[in-house]
Amino acid sequence: MTPDLLTKEFEAALPQLKSYILRITASVQDTEDIVQDTFVKAIEKLESFRGESSAKTWFFAIASNLAKDNFRAKKRWPENVTDICKAKALANPDYFPEVMHIQQTSAHGQFEIKEHITFCLTCISKSLPLEQQICILLKEVYEFKVAEIAQIIDNTEAMVKYYLHTGRSTMINVFDGRCALINKEGACHQCSELNGIFNPKQNFEVEKNKVEMARVAEKGEKDHLLDLRLQIMKEINPFSSNGADLQLHHLEHNRKIMENFNEKNQD
Amino acid sequence: MDNLTANGKAITIKKTFSRSTGISIDIKSDPSVIWALLTNASDYTRWNTTVTSLEGSIAKGEKLLLKSYLDSKRIFKLTVKEYEAEKKLVWGDAMGSRVFTLMAKGNGQTNFTMVEKIGGPLFPLFAKMIPPFDESFEKFAHDIKKEAEAITNTK
Repeated sequence: MTPDLLTKEFEAALPQLKSYILRITASVQDTEDIVQDTFVKAIEKLESFRGESSAKTWFFAIASNLAKDNFRAKKRWPENVTDICKAKALANPDYFPEVMHIQQTSAHGQFEIKEHITFCLTCISKSLPLEQQICILLKEVYEFKVAEIAQIIDNTEAMVKYYLHTGRSTMINVFDGRCALINKEGACHQCSELNGIFNPKQNFEVEKNKVEMARVAEKGEKDHLLDLRLQIMKEINPFSSNGADLQLHHLEHNRKIMENFNEKNQD
Repeated sequence: MDNLTANGKAITIKKTFSRSTGISIDIKSDPSVIWALLTNASDYTRWNTTVTSLEGSIAKGEKLLLKSYLDSKRIFKLTVKEYEAEKKLVWGDAMGSRVFTLMAKGNGQTNFTMVEKIGGPLFPLFAKMIPPFDESFEKFAHDIKKEAEAITNTK
């Protein structure tokens, strides 16, 4: 492959690569750094690229290796991350003026339930062991095959399947216990609460029913509900969506809260 | 116990100063998957219906705290005595040891065996207080088979 072709291939993979790293690190700055380092490494190792995998798989392998060494990617969050961060946001008098300002001034400041579902999935997936989070994202969001994921994470296909299976099982249980969109007893109503703040004139039930996952929740298999949730994530680019600035602000907020939380709990 | 048949049925051999229970079963899965299930303590309660909690890290020399449905009031304080990746795991206490072995059969199958021997000079005094393990062993073996095969069938 020539450097020109590599650059072209990298540009094509860039949006997915960026969103993948963001979902692992929860940091815009670290995402920019890792993506840049991925390109530099790819150029440096260009001669060793034999085309045994696609260029996209190769870029994701380099980026995943860099992410595995990243401090913020390695940090894992508790399952009740959204509760902890909500309490901190409510206690911070600057928080809501800041987000309202984003909503009013940014072209990417709309609050949409689907985007919040994606944000929530990013946060909850950081409660999984890193290998499980990586495998689920690669398979379910970025549509890599098990064999390709094995190449990317340099492990066996059997272990990729183990990470996928255990990660999915954990996520299904967490969402079933927490998400009021799919379980009326769920502890977390954050998307409806925030929708009420940002879109006070909207009827939440009407909006909610536009989301297939919520519409079929009562009769849907838990496994299928997770697939629908992941499908929503697949369709949303966190850097360019209608509410990207708002959701990125939420994510940065949660990450900072979690860094303090983990420090205090000596994680 | 050398006379185990891979049929998922537990057998127990009682002697004056010891008791051994063993089980063997073939699993359509790679040893690495079964090993991952066996050595990930925090994940046990998700797939294993015989364990109510397992705390600690499953690595050579590490201590484990195990609670089982067999005797829910008791916490077993165990040590990981042997750890040979994807082949053999042994945990136990002064009274006995549980030995897990995996053997790849080359046709996408792995033979899983689990043997526990308890005993010692004082064994006859408390033998009657220890419940039989057979049912629990059969559940364990079927649970790990079911989970490992479900993982292996992941598309």
